[in-house]
Amino acid sequence: MIAFKYTKINGAEYLSHLDLLRHIYRTLRRASIPVNYSGGFHAHPRIFLNNPLGTGIKSVAEYATIETNFEGDFMERFNAFSPAGVKCLKWAKVDKNQNYANCIVKCSYSAEGIPPFDIGRFLAQDSIVIADMRGREVDIRPRIYAVERQGDALLFTLGCGENNLRPDLFCQYLCSQFGGGAKNILKTASVMSGDEFV
Amino acid sequence: MTVNLDDIKDILSRVEKPARYTGGEYGEVISPPSPFYFCMAFPDLYEVGMSNLGIKIVAESFRRRGYAADYCFAPYTDFGDAIKKAGVPLYSLALKKPLAEFDMIGFSVQFELCYTNILYMLDLAGIPLRRKDRASKNYPLIAIGGPCAVNPEPLADFVDLVFIGDGESVDADVAALYLECGGATEQFFRRAAAMEGVYVPALMEVKYDKEGHICAFEGDFKPRRAIIGDLDGAIFPATQPVPNCESVFDRSIIEVMRGCYRGCRFCQAGFIYRPVRRRNVDTLTRQACSLIASTGYDEVSLNSLSTGDYPRLRELIKSLKASLPAGVTLALPSLRVDSFDADFAQDARKISLTFAPEAGSQRLRDVINKDITEDEILSAAESAFDIGYSAVKLYFMLGLPTETDDDLHAIRRIVDLIKSAYGRKARAKSLRVSVSVSTFIPKPFTPFQWEAQCSEEEVEAKQKVLRDCLYIKGVTLSWSDYFTSRLEGVFARGDRRLGKVLERAYELGCRFDGWTKDLNKQAWAQAFEDCGVDPAIYTRERGMDELLPWDFIDIGMDKKFFARERERAYGGVVTGSCKKGCAGCGLQKICPAARGDR
Repeated sequence: MIAFKYTKINGAEYLSHLDLLRHIYRTLRRASIPVNYSGGFHAHPRIFLNNPLGTGIKSVAEYATIETNFEGDFMERFNAFSPAGVKCLKWAKVDKNQNYANCIVKCSYSAEGIPPFDIGRFLAQDSIVIADMRGREVDIRPRIYAVERQGDALLFTLGCGENNLRPDLFCQYLCSQFGGGAKNILKTASVMSGDEFV
Repeated sequence: MTVNLDDIKDILSRVEKPARYTGGEYGEVISPPSPFYFCMAFPDLYEVGMSNLGIKIVAESFRRRGYAADYCFAPYTDFGDAIKKAGVPLYSLALKKPLAEFDMIGFSVQFELCYTNILYMLDLAGIPLRRKDRASKNYPLIAIGGPCAVNPEPLADFVDLVFIGDGESVDADVAALYLECGGATEQFFRRAAAMEGVYVPALMEVKYDKEGHICAFEGDFKPRRAIIGDLDGAIFPATQPVPNCESVFDRSIIEVMRGCYRGCRFCQAGFIYRPVRRRNVDTLTRQACSLIASTGYDEVSLNSLSTGDYPRLRELIKSLKASLPAGVTLALPSLRVDSFDADFAQDARKISLTFAPEAGSQRLRDVINKDITEDEILSAAESAFDIGYSAVKLYFMLGLPTETDDDLHAIRRIVDLIKSAYGRKARAKSLRVSVSVSTFIPKPFTPFQWEAQCSEEEVEAKQKVLRDCLYIKGVTLSWSDYFTSRLEGVFARGDRRLGKVLERAYELGCRFDGWTKDLNKQAWAQAFEDCGVDPAIYTRERGMDELLPWDFIDIGMDKKFFARERERAYGGVVTGSCKKGCAGCGLQKICPAARGDR
């Protein structure tokens, strides 16, 4: 098996999760990197991605595991056949499915366009209740791990998986409080419960 | 100027399937700077247009000549409304160039219900809809091509050029002429009108008599359909862009043949693509391998109007299987029941098989020249069941000339026979039959071009007969909406007086008329009323001596042939396939089949 880290930028941020999966599958086919198939009537290639990223959010920290017996320089081969915005950054041979959908617990992001505000006071709140995309009230405070300013950019770390908070929703909330309009939201790192490649 | 995706990020983030509008497909071609910019426009959604092979061939024909070619599809209403509100012009996919900055925009017009989308796209591009409002200003040439170009008259007020017939060479020839003439000059239009395959609506005037019927076409030219002789040497793109989001036919497509030997009397495609021209096995194998390697698709579709009629189909399948990587499946989407062969259907997942008897009774099948028998339908169904199929889809039409309720009841008989054929052996699953019945629409350049289209009352009565007789377990029936078929029928046999109706309908918000959920019937009814045009004058029976709105176009076939075929239809006489013998449609001089190459 091979696990790899890849990008979703240069327009690829608008691909839906299912379409991204199809693109990776076709990239592997073009690159002649064999993938094992599941058994069953509707056999599907064994490609496992991390949790879906909202469309429109860029990332340089997506992860996938594929079942393959490919020998050779995976990164070079993959990148020669992948769409412009989907490029492998690093890879390793691994023994088992890394199950990135489960082991990624937090993600770090950066965003521009959010005006300065008192981060200390913001984080001092016990709870921050917002309406989620379906209109339900949720307390997002426990899902915010860090917020920090670096020049024009705001850097922040939010929960992922069971504890998920969408970065665009978070930015939308900040802008509703402090004005401005968030742009260029980028996932910069995925924080895992274990090592990156096991 | 180009449109920057980051500037419309907010719009992209809130519309459905934003990947339709970003470009960046794997395999997209970003044309280098060029003296001529052609935009291949498709007046339907990205996922429909991206499945179309013709537009890729036309774009390639411009690129081979050193011109820039890019694509643009009709954005869905959420995106279209948003960019209009934001003042962002409609842009091309790869170059992100506003459409108004191209030298020519060519719309591929596949069916009549996308006409309002042409106006919608021009409007989003900030281009005046009517030709006279663009005259002597620096706007791109607006052209149309594709099957609807054989009767382009309803669009005559809006377009500068019509490409009739095969688009492989003539479209790019026009670009060369444009450059030579230094733009869209009078000389350019004169010379373009003289080219084979080109029609310039501005150079023709239509005269009407007191009853409002056409009495003369005034113009010193006769547009002729462009026909290429050799498909093996014809332009074919070796690579094709892989759509960002799943398209309706998400697979590689090769064109096995163009044209059809059969001559079914209702089928426009069966006539307007004559004569049949084929690619040879080597060419097709090479093209399929190149597409599979460059796209990563795992399926190749062998397209034509009737792939079962390809004389060396068995050899082709063998060659493809031997040359394509393991695991690539072949799809044969247009198999007739009389050419159905269990060997051909082995590859696909054995779920559902589609047959198109088109009419229930043998009598009516003879009328429409659908040269198949009940036995052939049943034996095809049985061989499909024997290799594991447990579902069949059956396509029929209602409202065909001479049709009676007996013909409709005969559909029930076919369904019963298929059910008992399935029941003859023990099978694992129960059989599912779905019967889909569309409404017959008379089309130009067919033997039925003079026929009346059924009225609403007639169609509803016929649909009721079918609902009553097909209310059985395991059978689902679907039928087409009357209004949609009528609108298609009106524009199919329409003339240029419909231009104002089209424009009014667009003003009233009509677009995506082919998508049932978006069709605005009230607005269409109002548009006809506001313009004082009675749609019934277009769906009525036409006189044999009447000048038809498309009669000025030389499609290569003889009007007398169509009249002869109409007589034979009424006599229930089958003409049969061109493979059996030449029926003398008028194309004998250039037809390989007429020379014995069948």
